[in-house]
Amino acid sequence: MLIDLGWFSFDLFKVTYDGVVLAIGGTAVLAALGVVLCSSPIYSALYLIGHMICLALLFLMYGAEFIAAVQLIVYAGAVMILFLFIIALLGGKKESQSFDFHKFMAFSFIGTVLAELALSTRVGPTQPITGIFDEKMIANVGSAKAIGLELFSKHLIPFELASILLLVAGVGIICLAKFAYKPVRRRSN
Amino acid sequence: MFGYGWLVLISPLLGFLSLSCFGKRIPRSIAGYVACATVGLSFFISLILLVHLSVLEPENRVGGVQAMYTWIDSGQFQLDFAILIDPLSVFMFLIVTGVGFFIHVYSLGYMEHDPEFKRFFAYLNLFIFSMCVLVSAADFFFLIVGWALVGLASYLLIGFWRDKPSAVLAARKAFVMNVIGDVGMLIAAFMILETFGSLSYQKVFESAPGMFLANDINVILITLFLLVGAFAKSAQLPLHTWLPDAMEGPTPVSALIHAATMVTAGVYLVARCHTLFELAPFTMYVIATVGIITATFAGTIAMVQTDIKRVIAYSTMSQLGYMFLAVGLGMFSFGMFHLMTHAFFKALLFLGAGSVIHSMNDEQDIRKMGGLAKAMPITYITFLIGSLALAGFPLTSGFFSKEAIIMASYHSAMGNIAFWALAIFTAGMTAFYSFRLFFTVFQGDSRTPDAHPHESPITMTGPLMILAFFALTAGVLGHWVDGFLSPVFGGHAEHYEDGFLETIAVLVGFGGILTAGLLYMVPSDRVAQLREVLAPIHDILFHKYYVDEIYDFLIVKPVKAISVFLEDMGEKKGVDFAVDQVGVQVREVSKYVSIWQSGRIRDYALNMVAGMALVLIFVAFL
Amino acid sequence: MGQEFILLVSATIFCIGAFGFMVRKNPLIMFMSVELMLNSVNFLLIGYSHILKSLDGQVFALMIMAVAAAEVVVGLAIILTIFRTRHDLNVDHLDSLKG
Repeated sequence: MLIDLGWFSFDLFKVTYDGVVLAIGGTAVLAALGVVLCSSPIYSALYLIGHMICLALLFLMYGAEFIAAVQLIVYAGAVMILFLFIIALLGGKKESQSFDFHKFMAFSFIGTVLAELALSTRVGPTQPITGIFDEKMIANVGSAKAIGLELFSKHLIPFELASILLLVAGVGIICLAKFAYKPVRRRSN
Repeated sequence: MFGYGWLVLISPLLGFLSLSCFGKRIPRSIAGYVACATVGLSFFISLILLVHLSVLEPENRVGGVQAMYTWIDSGQFQLDFAILIDPLSVFMFLIVTGVGFFIHVYSLGYMEHDPEFKRFFAYLNLFIFSMCVLVSAADFFFLIVGWALVGLASYLLIGFWRDKPSAVLAARKAFVMNVIGDVGMLIAAFMILETFGSLSYQKVFESAPGMFLANDINVILITLFLLVGAFAKSAQLPLHTWLPDAMEGPTPVSALIHAATMVTAGVYLVARCHTLFELAPFTMYVIATVGIITATFAGTIAMVQTDIKRVIAYSTMSQLGYMFLAVGLGMFSFGMFHLMTHAFFKALLFLGAGSVIHSMNDEQDIRKMGGLAKAMPITYITFLIGSLALAGFPLTSGFFSKEAIIMASYHSAMGNIAFWALAIFTAGMTAFYSFRLFFTVFQGDSRTPDAHPHESPITMTGPLMILAFFALTAGVLGHWVDGFLSPVFGGHAEHYEDGFLETIAVLVGFGGILTAGLLYMVPSDRVAQLREVLAPIHDILFHKYYVDEIYDFLIVKPVKAISVFLEDMGEKKGVDFAVDQVGVQVREVSKYVSIWQSGRIRDYALNMVAGMALVLIFVAFL
Repeated sequence: MGQEFILLVSATIFCIGAFGFMVRKNPLIMFMSVELMLNSVNFLLIGYSHILKSLDGQVFALMIMAVAAAEVVVGLAIILTIFRTRHDLNVDHLDSLKG
């Protein structure tokens, strides 16, 4: 909806949309900082959950409803709950923060990488993949069905391999949990 | 056409190889017979070659190069495995294999009680092979190969009795001096290759007269370097000190190598390269001068020596000087003729000395010998014949060859009165010392009553008799030798007839014999009185003019000091240190680098990110 | 907004995650930083799939989520196994491969 103020004209929807996206993005970044900088693991986990919710919202803004739902259910729901369980099990003590050489080096390298990545935004347009799925078409079919169509036709093999991967992970977990109780045999001398 | 000439070389080589590989398993006598047979076969083939060449007309008697295999053929340089069969090489073949054969037979008897019998014959065969390579090489390359091989054989044979320290030292000394000669020869070969572009005799000798005027500096340098090799091999001044010490080897070795064949290699070299030497009259003059001076020098020393083999060794040096005088004056065929007669009577003298030593239980000091005439009649007579030939008694072979040289020393183009005077003086000394030796050893009464000398077995006396026959009769071959070798030297040598000088020479010879007889035939005090009067001179002569001591002071000690210094500074502190430090420093550096590997995940993550940053820089900006 | 926004946000979150992985000593927080990095990539993929009008990005993001889930499960089990008996959560003490 176009609003014309004479010297300045803007599209209200677009501006609102962009502002919301910007806000949620900023929140996500701040939550990420919170994850890294907190001294207690519980707080870091909570910040991470917040960050994931923000990302899910961003996914929604970008028209990937199915993925947003999967993010919330799988990531924020299952994975983070697992994290919280482990934190409860192992205990999260607050660790002392000291600024040492290592931290300084980390700062500098990360700063360099960020600068480079930022510069890379000025590189130029990427090679577009010709795609047929714009918003209207997705809205017609429904996001889940659209993804389902892609997943089970073009990307069938990765799908199957991912399921094998999950199976392997499950078997590995059971093995680890089972044998973790067996005492380690010591060598005779 | 002369392809079978290769057999002369291959036969002793096979003998050497088979004796050294299978020697342990075959019985002694077989080893001895095999060795003699190989050399005998070589001699037989040489005789066939001689006949083959003799029936040709002098113009055609050029022989030929027999190539077996082309070894190097690159661009303009070609080198074949080839031997040259021409009158000169066949002449040398005959001497080497003939005298060699007789000495092999002699050694069957002489070395009978030696535990290392088979090794000796293997080395002797090796020597015959090497000498044949030397004299039949068709280019300078194989000449030097033969030169070095002969030096090797000489080293092995001088040091044959490995447990005798003096023998080992003498072998080393001989080898080192030989190598000095080898270096000279190599430099000469390089210069020849650079100047002529080829090492083959044919090419060099054909193109030499066209390329150089007489006394060109290049030719003079080439010939002087060749002379270094010749003088080292033939024990002329100043590279002569190895020859007396080489008498530490067994007597057959001294006879074969250091009398008849190896030491004549120098004379052969000058004769073979006569084209080059004729282009450098300066060098010829040097040859003649050094030759006659060595002859005189050696003669003076021989007069006072007390070891039977050393006297004969110095006489060899002296007679080689005569040969060099001859070739230095341009009388190449006379030099070769004297080489032939010298081979006969010198080998005879050495073998006779060996017979004496053998029967006196390895005693070599003549002051302990005496009165052997009755005990060893054959040795006595043959030794007498040899001494007469050496002294140049009329009608012996030595007389004819020496006369020719003495005539030429006065009458030939470069001859002068000084050469003649020294030649005559040396002839007198030769007569004196050879009969001094003869009378001391064989006449009178024995000075050691305990010894029981006996005549030697037939294997030893047989060669003595045959050689004595040749020493007596070879004199008539003078003209034939000249004619046979004329195609090689491009013409006949001038034979000067001068009755006056001949008479003087004969009289001087007689005078020498008489003096020796007066002093030594009957034991008396005259010798002792003479020695007291001339004590200082006697001292210098007995110590060989102190040349060995001078060399030791000037050369040996500084070289040893330098090598000790280099071993300490160069090896231990230099090279060893550097190599060790490479390893040590790597270890030190790795001590510091290994701190980086802390085992902590976070540090590894840091490294990963650092790497990523670096890669991104490259990707983004470069 | 467009592309630069997506790129910048994704890069920032990624760098924060890498920084957290390098700096923190608690293994659980390190793991969470890894999750941050994976999320940032997910966001990038989804954003670009929207711009380029293709569903490949979303499918790939789905795969990443599946893999991340498996990885979290296994990784936490390992952490549990290692740190259960030690009672101190400090990865710096796991340095037996030192030198």
